[in-house]
Amino acid sequence: MKKYRVAYQIALQETLQRRSTLIMDRLGGFAVVVSLYSFWTALIGDKATFLGYTRAEMLTYVLALNILRSFVFTGRGWQLVGEISSGRISSYLIRPLSYHGYALALDLAQKTIHVAASFFEVSLLAVCVRGELFLPRDPATWLLFSVAVLLSSLLFFFLEFMVSSLAFWTSESGGPLFCFELFLQFAAGAFFPLDVLPLGLRRALEATPFPYMVYFPVRIFLEKVPPFEAMGMLGMEALWLMAVFTAAMMIWRRGVRSYAAEGG
Amino acid sequence: MAAAIETKGLTKDYRSPLKEPGLWGGVKSLFDRKYKDTRAVDGVSFSIEEGELVGFLGANGAGKTTTLKMLSGLLTPTSGAATALGHVPWKREPAFQRSISLVMGQRSQLWWEIPAYETFRLNQAIYGLSDADFKKHLDELVDLLELGEHLSVPVKKLSLGQRMRCELAAALLHRPRLLLLDEPTIGLDVVMQKNVREFIKAYNKRSGATIMLTSHNMTDVVALCRRVIVIEKGRLLYDGALDRLVERYADHKILRARFTTDVEPGDLKGLGVVVKYEERCVTLEVPRAKIAASAAALLRSYPVADLNVEEVAIDDIVRRLFTHA
Repeated sequence: MKKYRVAYQIALQETLQRRSTLIMDRLGGFAVVVSLYSFWTALIGDKATFLGYTRAEMLTYVLALNILRSFVFTGRGWQLVGEISSGRISSYLIRPLSYHGYALALDLAQKTIHVAASFFEVSLLAVCVRGELFLPRDPATWLLFSVAVLLSSLLFFFLEFMVSSLAFWTSESGGPLFCFELFLQFAAGAFFPLDVLPLGLRRALEATPFPYMVYFPVRIFLEKVPPFEAMGMLGMEALWLMAVFTAAMMIWRRGVRSYAAEGG
Repeated sequence: MAAAIETKGLTKDYRSPLKEPGLWGGVKSLFDRKYKDTRAVDGVSFSIEEGELVGFLGANGAGKTTTLKMLSGLLTPTSGAATALGHVPWKREPAFQRSISLVMGQRSQLWWEIPAYETFRLNQAIYGLSDADFKKHLDELVDLLELGEHLSVPVKKLSLGQRMRCELAAALLHRPRLLLLDEPTIGLDVVMQKNVREFIKAYNKRSGATIMLTSHNMTDVVALCRRVIVIEKGRLLYDGALDRLVERYADHKILRARFTTDVEPGDLKGLGVVVKYEERCVTLEVPRAKIAASAAALLRSYPVADLNVEEVAIDDIVRRLFTHA
């Protein structure tokens, strides 16, 4: 385990070293939240509820998005694509190291910093909206939400890893990864709650792993889902995670085999 | 002594997609992709004993890097067998991975934004070195490679030579018993090349590690290797003492001179074979035994502005070897 702990520490250092990238990243995310916030505030207007969300709930959704983006949507997919196409991946394959463990350690470092930054941003925004937010009272909700988010971030990590592994076969895997991430954010509910969508489309999306990344966790947080049903959701999410993990590992092994066959 | 590396009929085919030219060709290849098999390494057999330092020579695309990649476990061969330190490399057993290192001159394992020391610390953890061993090995490498003040500077701020030395240190921190070096001096200036060469020699002597090295630079090979293995188009051409190879196939050196006035190239024939003469510059091939005399004669009888004596490029020797084979 020590190797992954050291990788985590070094990645923390490196992320902090690249201050301007970090600041740009945060500003970008902040701008998204502020625009979503303004958009929903305008839509809700004087209405008591909108699409079944009270004003406080909707604002909470938007602010929670900022934290979830920082915790869930930070995989190492682009790094993997780069390392495969540049051949740098070779230097990991010949060392006694699990690339997944290593990438997870790096990802965790990135999450640590981004989540810290996003808590700061969210507090700032919370002050601006004068506490008009929904905070669950039931400690069980917090627990369920935390478990959901933890699973979500692993789900995203391995999904992204799976798509990035395409780079083993094609030099043009950046395109698919970009489209995938865009679609994923939409299908996860990272642009708006899925309630906005027509029922048929929503049901279809709910049958995929994507809503487990944002939409469902936030609904758990907003106590829109009874605890028993939430447990079911977590069970389903865990199943998705296992399936995606298995597929990602299989594709990875095939990729490494093909890399070893075709040359790095 | 036991063999550190043993290969038998090692063969590697690469499969690359063929694409017809033009946009239509691109569209067609989407649906009906044709492949071409290229044999990069063709039935290569050799054995290297523990502690040997062997030069691995061949022109570009001869199959050197592919062989090193198979020996390090990165590539699986199409056919044939190999063992390195008693392991089948491409099984990638951790015990094997802990005892080898592959350094590719053009690839880096260092973290770019932070000092090299951090990469060393990561390698300490990856290879499971105790703090005492880490310190001992690192001190030795810092000393040998003169790394001192470079350890605390972000890697991106280092010069190429400084980075290459850090790269070597990162690769050797765990004291590999087998070291595969692919073009370790590429892109370095002459002084740095010499330092790196001296270091490789010292490391081999001190640790008794087996080293296999590819280089385009004949000076590297001459300075380091008593034995060389030459491959051309994937086939083994020569395996034996370097002395015999150079004597047999590079019996001359290259003498280059620049004159201050025009010279009749025909007059220079007595000094060696005139390979090229243009813009007052001549390139001569001179037999090894005559090199001093020819250089002295040139200086004595002609208005020489500049004079250089060089070894024949390794590619030339290999080409010669190939045409003789």
